[in-house]
Amino acid sequence: MTGSLDVRVAKRLPGFDLDVDWKASDEVVALFGPSGAGKSLTLGCLAGLVRPDRGRIVVNGDVFFDSKGGVDVPPQRRRLGYVFQGYALFPHLSVAANLAYGLRDRPREERRRRVDEVMHRLELGGLSERRPRELSGGQQQRVALGRALAVDPALLLLDEPLSALDAPLRRELRRELVGIVREWGKATVLVTHDLAEAFQLADRVVIYERGRIVQAAPKTELLSAPASERVARLMGVRNILHGTVIKAASDRIQLRWRGQVLEAVNSPSHSYLPDAGAELAFFIRPELARLIRKDREPADAAHHMNLMSGRVVREEDWGTTWTLYFRLDAAGEPAHGDSDLEIEVPRMVYEILEIARDRRWQLSIHRGSIHVLPA
Amino acid sequence: MSPENRWALALSIEVAVSATVLNAVVGIPLAYLLARRRFWGHAALDLLVTLPLVLPPTVTGYYLIVLLGRRGVLGAPLYDLTGWTVAFTPTAAVIAATVMALPLLVRTARAAIESVDQDLERASYTLGRSEWQTALAVTLPLARNGILAGLVLAFARALGEFGATLMLAGNIPGRTTTVPLAIYTAVQTGERGDAFVLVGLLTGLSCLVLVAAGRLGARAT
Repeated sequence: MTGSLDVRVAKRLPGFDLDVDWKASDEVVALFGPSGAGKSLTLGCLAGLVRPDRGRIVVNGDVFFDSKGGVDVPPQRRRLGYVFQGYALFPHLSVAANLAYGLRDRPREERRRRVDEVMHRLELGGLSERRPRELSGGQQQRVALGRALAVDPALLLLDEPLSALDAPLRRELRRELVGIVREWGKATVLVTHDLAEAFQLADRVVIYERGRIVQAAPKTELLSAPASERVARLMGVRNILHGTVIKAASDRIQLRWRGQVLEAVNSPSHSYLPDAGAELAFFIRPELARLIRKDREPADAAHHMNLMSGRVVREEDWGTTWTLYFRLDAAGEPAHGDSDLEIEVPRMVYEILEIARDRRWQLSIHRGSIHVLPA
Repeated sequence: MSPENRWALALSIEVAVSATVLNAVVGIPLAYLLARRRFWGHAALDLLVTLPLVLPPTVTGYYLIVLLGRRGVLGAPLYDLTGWTVAFTPTAAVIAATVMALPLLVRTARAAIESVDQDLERASYTLGRSEWQTALAVTLPLARNGILAGLVLAFARALGEFGATLMLAGNIPGRTTTVPLAIYTAVQTGERGDAFVLVGLLTGLSCLVLVAAGRLGARAT
């Protein structure tokens, strides 16, 4: 069931240059990165819809493309299940005809059986004569997946399957998609610019940026150890900061930042030991900064790790949470414009602590919540 | 209506139908090529097909004479070979009407084909269908209304063709005189009554055509 994939493609387009090389043998691979990074172009090359300038594409041992060997298998003979952005269902054909579209070469009886089986497994019963436009978003997604899966493809390709949807529907369809991909157990390549999508669906994540790969790793590794500050930025990590190393040990790193001494846990998988005085990037998850309540015991550095004080200079209301922009009481330029840190607090906390009125706070950050980033 | 004018009406309809059929055979593949393929000479071909839309019809007719006349580029060898020339025959009227109507069909059909989501075609390729099979199963059926609207417009244009027809086919009563030419002759010779009937007929037909094209256009969106 596990697919083996070896993708090496280079293609130059006006104003864009794709040059990537990745392998996978995991079940679901996500190509993640911002729009225009070359993810969909890679998928097009994989499916044979776009011809690379150079490279070699091997799927489960079959060479689909090899610029040196002059091999270029047309998309018709690659047998890959491509699910397009927006699904690309044939609007003039019924659900059953859409599902049967790739089965033209099979005998009529077998074709009918296969369509029935797919309809049953994807819970499309009773919809066989409907047109795509008469279906709900979830049903359309299932027909698109069913049409691709009906031909029993060597590999399932999903191009931004959920990007056109609004948030609630997106969550619902994401859940459904995860279920279907897991149940059919097909080797899959997913293109997405949504990190949540990549993490929910994939075993392995390949991070794209401007036509290059910046990290390819199992997803668990990615969260605890982004390979670089660039990867962290692509993953949308906030509070990426720069400090100076005071002392580094295999489990802890002490650093100076904005006149504070911070203590951080060293990366468990890539424990590394920069010299004292070296510049170091790190990040603090905004939801893990703790505000110190003023109606309790006064804060002391012995009990509160990485204690700092300052004031809220700006804030944003996100409905269920508030984002506070916090500026430290330290000399010098703040880290980002007018503030040093973003802090996220639940709405209830915001109201109980009366943050709207009370702007001066102390905060504490556990050393485990400060992640150092390799240079 | 005089027998001659009745004959003109029959000829007009015959010419318009033939020209429309020829348009379908030549114009639909042409529209597909222009919409979906990029090849050497693409721009030139596009220009060539479109020119009759903007050139004065007499100029188009002149080119047709240069090309197909008895001493024309293609016409001369044909005459030497067979002793037959297309000039001043009903066939000439069909050719003139076809060339004049072609840009209307090609432009309308091309726009309709271009508006078909190319992901549908790509989906068809990944599902094992060739480009040819895909055009027949996906692209053309989805562009159908635009193509039909284009054919209706082409029919109307062919029915009303005057200038290029006059140049290549002449105005021979009972042989190449179509309704527009008959109207011209009737006005010239002062037969206002005949002209009035023919004008009414063409106006009525054109209105029908516009309504039909409008309906197809509305369904296409």
